[in-house]
Amino acid sequence: MNSFQYLHPQSIAELIKLLYKYQEKIRVLAGGTDLLVMMKQGRLAPEYVVSLKDVPGLTYIREQKNGGVKIGAMMSLREVECSESLRLRYPSLPCAAGWVGSPQIRWRATIGGNLCNGAPSADLAPPLVCLGAQAFIQGKSKRMIPVEKFFIGPGKVALGAGEFLRELIIPPLAPHTFGTYQKFSRSTMDIAVVGVAAAATFERGGFCSDLRVCLGAVAPTPLRALEAEKLGTGKSWTNEIIQAVALKASEEARPIDDVRGTIFLRRTLVEVLTRRVLIECLEQARAENQT
Amino acid sequence: MPGTSSRRKSNVKESLAHTIRLKVNGDLHELTVKPHHTLLDVLRDQLELTGTKEGCGLGECGACTVHMDGKPVNSCLVLALEADGSEIVTIEGLAKAGKLHPVQRAFVEKGAIQCGFCTPGMVMASIGLLAEKPNPTREEIKQALIGNLCRCTGYKKIIEAVSEAASSGGARDDE
Amino acid sequence: MMNKDFAVIGKNVPRIDSIPKVTGEARYTCDLKLPGMLWGAILRSPHPHAKILRVNLERAKGLTGVRAVITAEDVPQNRFSFIQALADKNIFCREEARYIGDEIAAVAAVDRDTAEEALQLIEVEYEPLPAVFDPEAAMAPDAPRVHDRENNIVYEFHKSFGEVDKAFELCDVVCEDRYLTHQLAHCCMETSNCIAQVDSSGGLTLYVNTQAPHTQRQELARILGLPIGKIRVVNSNMGGGFGSKLVMDMKGPIAACLSMRTNKPVKIINSRQEEFSTAKTRYPYIMDIKVGATKEGRILSRQARVIVDNGAYNDKGPSTLSFASMMFNVLYDVPNTQFDACLVYTNKQFGTAFRGFGNPQIAFATECQLDDLAKRLKMDPIELRMKNLNKPNSMTTHGARITSCGMQECMEVSAKAIGWSEKRREPKKFRGIGMANMVHSGAGSRYYGFNSNDAFVKIADDGTVTLITSALDMGQGAQTTMAQIVAEELGVKMESLKVLTNDTDLTPYDLGSYGSRATFICGNAAKLAARDARKELVFVAGEMLEANPEDLVVKNGVVHVAGSPGKSIPVAEIVQYSVSKKGSSISGRGHFVDTLASGADITAGYLTHIPTFAFATQMAEVEVDPETGKVKVLKIVAAHDTGTAINPVSAEGQIEGGVVQGFGYALMEKLSVKDGRVENISFLDYKIPNSGDIPDIETILVETEDPDGPFGAKGVGEPGLVPTAPAIVNAIYDAIGVRFKELPVTPEQVLKALRDRPR
Repeated sequence: MNSFQYLHPQSIAELIKLLYKYQEKIRVLAGGTDLLVMMKQGRLAPEYVVSLKDVPGLTYIREQKNGGVKIGAMMSLREVECSESLRLRYPSLPCAAGWVGSPQIRWRATIGGNLCNGAPSADLAPPLVCLGAQAFIQGKSKRMIPVEKFFIGPGKVALGAGEFLRELIIPPLAPHTFGTYQKFSRSTMDIAVVGVAAAATFERGGFCSDLRVCLGAVAPTPLRALEAEKLGTGKSWTNEIIQAVALKASEEARPIDDVRGTIFLRRTLVEVLTRRVLIECLEQARAENQT
Repeated sequence: MPGTSSRRKSNVKESLAHTIRLKVNGDLHELTVKPHHTLLDVLRDQLELTGTKEGCGLGECGACTVHMDGKPVNSCLVLALEADGSEIVTIEGLAKAGKLHPVQRAFVEKGAIQCGFCTPGMVMASIGLLAEKPNPTREEIKQALIGNLCRCTGYKKIIEAVSEAASSGGARDDE
Repeated sequence: MMNKDFAVIGKNVPRIDSIPKVTGEARYTCDLKLPGMLWGAILRSPHPHAKILRVNLERAKGLTGVRAVITAEDVPQNRFSFIQALADKNIFCREEARYIGDEIAAVAAVDRDTAEEALQLIEVEYEPLPAVFDPEAAMAPDAPRVHDRENNIVYEFHKSFGEVDKAFELCDVVCEDRYLTHQLAHCCMETSNCIAQVDSSGGLTLYVNTQAPHTQRQELARILGLPIGKIRVVNSNMGGGFGSKLVMDMKGPIAACLSMRTNKPVKIINSRQEEFSTAKTRYPYIMDIKVGATKEGRILSRQARVIVDNGAYNDKGPSTLSFASMMFNVLYDVPNTQFDACLVYTNKQFGTAFRGFGNPQIAFATECQLDDLAKRLKMDPIELRMKNLNKPNSMTTHGARITSCGMQECMEVSAKAIGWSEKRREPKKFRGIGMANMVHSGAGSRYYGFNSNDAFVKIADDGTVTLITSALDMGQGAQTTMAQIVAEELGVKMESLKVLTNDTDLTPYDLGSYGSRATFICGNAAKLAARDARKELVFVAGEMLEANPEDLVVKNGVVHVAGSPGKSIPVAEIVQYSVSKKGSSISGRGHFVDTLASGADITAGYLTHIPTFAFATQMAEVEVDPETGKVKVLKIVAAHDTGTAINPVSAEGQIEGGVVQGFGYALMEKLSVKDGRVENISFLDYKIPNSGDIPDIETILVETEDPDGPFGAKGVGEPGLVPTAPAIVNAIYDAIGVRFKELPVTPEQVLKALRDRPR
C-alpha cells in the first residue's frame, strides 16, 4: 500500500473535525476488511486514514421502548450475526451478516463499514432497506436518511464533507412481519453474485398488506423492486402471484456482465431468489400461526 | 502495474513512525511501526514469529489467522497501529511447556497436515470455533473454516481433527 | 494380498514433519532471513506483445536504499527452456516482451517498500505489437508471430498404433466430439520465492522451494553460464508444489544476478496477485476425439487431435503431451490409436507441469465420451468399461507392461460404495451418478533417460538412524514414507528415524518429486540402503551374540536370535561396540535402477518408459438445482489402486486432496483471460474449493501388490485428481440429460443448457 498519515481521534467531536479538515483526502478505517483490501490493490490511496478504534460510543445494540432497535455503526458483523436479540426481532439481519466473508472477516468487519463501502453487493443493505432502516449521519449537524437513499452509486454513499455514519435505526415492525435474505455466490465464501431480501406483513388468511423487496448486486446501488412489490401487496399470495412478483423483480433489475456473473445469470437468479425469499416469508408466517 | 502487491511510498510526506505496545503470546512488546505496516508484517518481520504465514495479503486465505483479544482475525488486514494495546496469540503461543494444544495434537494424529502452510491458520481458526462452540457439528466446523484455504488435504482430515479435538475436550487448554 | 505382518508399513504412522508444522516452527523458504539480505522485485511487461524501445534506470538507481538495478544488458544472454533444444527465453526480455508478466528489469533494495517504489521509477518505452491469444487463431498463416520463426507451431507430436480409419469402419458406433479445458492456477498456499547468495569463491547458493533441486541446479548453470559445481540448491519445507516448481522460473537467475551485483543475499517473493497474473499455468487443451466400438462393446479405435495453448514460452509442453498420449493409449488397451498434437505459441502466460500432467485434460475428454458411447450402445457405463478392462500381468498393444492392475476391483468396490445399481434403477429428479476410470504412472517415467536413485543410511551410536535421500517432500509425505520403508527394512522404531533431504551438496542426484515417482523410485533406493545397513548391523551383532547373522531378527530397535527374544541387544549398543571394539561405523548404501524390459531403448522407447501403472475409479453423485444452475456434489467415492499403501492415512490424504482439486477443476476454476490479461488475480475471483464447498468423500484403497515397488507400493500423488472431473460431468448428464464438453461447468452453462435443451 501507499503510506499515509494515521489519525486516531479519541472522541466523535475530534473525528468530525478531522473529517472536515481533510475532506476528500481522508478515509475512515472501521474494521479494515474493505478499506485495506482496496488500498493494497492500489484502488485507493488516501493521504489520511482516520481510525474509529478509540472513538467511544459506537458499538452497541440497543432495544428501543417502541420495539425498534438502534445499532452502533462499529458493531462487528460477527456480533450482529450472533445477536440473540436481533435474531428474535429482525432475523434477516443476523442472516445477512452471516453471509459476509469468513468468521475472521466478520470479527473485524462492521455494519457501518459494510454500508459505507458503497458496494451494490453489500449483504446488509437489502435487509436493512426492507426493514425501513434509517442511517443516522453526524457531521457539523446530525441528520437521518433512509438506508435506501444512502447508496448513490458503486462505491459512493451520501456522506458529505466532514460526515460519518454513526448509527442504524431500525423502526419497530408491524405485527406479523417476516423477512429474510438469500444470496447466490460462486463458492461458500464470496461476494454476492445476486442478493435478495424481502419483508412481508401478513394479515388474516395470508393476506399481504405490505411487501418490500430489495435486490443486491444487480444495479449501481441496492435496488428496491417497487413494481414487484406492488404486485404482491394487498392480496393473498398464490403461487401465480409469487411468480409474478419474482418475474417483475427480475425485469426491474439492471445487472451488468462482470467477472462474477453475466446479465443472463443475474436476471435468472433475481427471479429465483425473489421467489424463494417470498416463500420463506410465507413459511415463517405459517409457522407463527401454528404456534 | 500488473500483479504487484503495491507497497509504494506516496510522494507526499514521509510517513511518520509510531510506537505501539502489544502483548504477543504473553510477552509485552514496544515496537516502532509505520502506518502501512500490518500486524502480520510486525509478527513476521519484527518479532520473527514466522509461524503465521502470508498466503494472499487480502484476507481471503486465512493463512495469517491469529487471535486478537480472543477473536480469530486475518492479521494481514489489521494495521499494526490498530493492534496497539491488544493481546495477540499466534501459533507459537499455543503449546505449553512442550505439550501440544489438543487441537494441534488432533491435527497430527488425524493426518490433517500435508504441506503445512495453511496449518497454523487452520489451527487458530479451529480454536476460535471451539471457544464459542465446544461441541460443533460437522457442518458448523465446515462453516467456521471457510476462510482458511487448503490446497493439499481436501479438508476432510482437518474437519475430522477438529471433531476429534472437540470430543476430547479441546475447547480448554489442558495444563 | 501379501503377508501383512509389518511393523510400520501399512500403519498410519503420524508424519515425521507434523509437529514442527503444527507448532509454527517449520521454516519455509519465505520465512528465511539471511544477514544483510536485500529485497528484490521484478518489473514486468504490462503488454502482451511489445517492442522494448528504451529503458531508463536513472531515477530508480538514484532512490535511497536501492543497491542495484539490472536489465538484459547486465546479465548473461543465454536462452533457456526445460528442453534446451527448444530454448526461447532469456533472463530478461531483450528486444521484445511476449506476455503480460514477461520480465523486463529488476531491483535490489534494503527493504520491500523501497524495492517496489524503485520499480515505479524505472521508465520503459514500449511499442505495442499485434498479439494473438487463441491457439487456433495463432495457427493461421497470417497470425502475429509470437517468436521470430516461421509460424507459431512450436512442436508437433504424432503417434499411432494399428490403423484407426480401417478400424472405425469396423465399428458399429462412432462418437466424435470436441472437448475444451482452460488455464488453471496451481494456487500453492506458499507463493514462489527464492533467496540467492553468492560467495567470494564465485559459488552460488539458491534457497528455493523447488520440486527438483538437482535439475534446477543444472538449469541455473545453463542460463547463468556457470559451472554446475559452483551451484548449490537448498530447499526448506515447501508450501505446495503440484508441478509448479519443477522447472526453474526466472526469479532464481534474477536473484542470482542481483546477488552477484551487490555481494549480498537477495530475496524475491511473488505476491499472490503476481502469482495469479504471471506464473505458469496448466496447459489448456482443445481436444477433438473420436472413438468407435462394436455393438458388443469392444472399443476398437480411438483418435485424438489436440491443440495445446503453449503460452509465450516453452516449458513442459512436449512432455505433458507425450504423457497424455501414453495414458490415452494404455487405458482400455485400444488396439488402434492415433494421437496428433501440436503446441502453439500465444501471447499469454505459459504452461508448465500441473498434477496429472496432461492426463486430467485427456481423461476428461475420453471418459466423458465413453459415457456417450455407452449410451448409444445401450450399455451401462460400468458394463462398457468392464468389456475393455486393463488386466494385470499383461502387455498392451503399444508395448506398455502392466504388472499390478486393480481396475476391475476399483470399479466393483466403488460401485458398491456409492450404490450404483440402486441409484441407476431408481433415479431421483435432478440427481445423478457418474463414473470415470483412469490410468496413470505409478513411478514417474524414464523418458528423461533417468529413473534411478541412490540413498544412504547411517546409524549413530545412540541408535539414531539417518536416511539421506533425494525424495523431496512438498507436503505429500515423501519423507515419512521413506522413513517407514527404512524403519521396516532395518527393524527399528519410527522414532529413531531422521531424514535429510534438502540440499544438493548432500543428496544424490535425482530428477525430483513429480510424476508420482518418489515412493517407487526413491523408496526402492531407501529400502536397499536399509538392507545394506542391516547386513552390517547383524554381522556385528552376530559376533556379540555368538550367532550366525542369518539367524538374527532385528525388530523394534533390538536384535536377537530368532526364537530367543529374551536375549536381545539394542541397536545403539551394537553400534557402540562396532565403533569402539572394531573401529568401524555402520552404514548402508542403496542404488536402485528401474530396469526396462530387455531390448528396450530409453531414447526411442515410448510406453516402455513407465515402470508401473496406477489405476483408479471415481464415482460422483450430484444434485443439480435447475433454477440456479448450481451443481452440488453430494458424494465422491474414490477407489484407487495404490499397490501397498505404505501409510494409508497419508495415501488417503493425497487422494482426498486430489479429488477436491478435481472438483475445483470440474466446477469452479478457470483463469479468465481477456486480451492477454488475467482478470481474476486474487482468491476473491479465482475460486478454489473451501471447506464449505466440498462433497462427502469416501476413499477406498485397493491394495494390489506391485512386484517391483518397495513393499509392493506404487505412486499415489497425482491420480486423485484425474478421474474426478469426468465423473462429475457424467453424473450431471445422468441428472439432467445434458453433456458438457467444456470445463468448468458453471451455473451459467447449466442454466443455458437447460433453457436450450430440446423438449
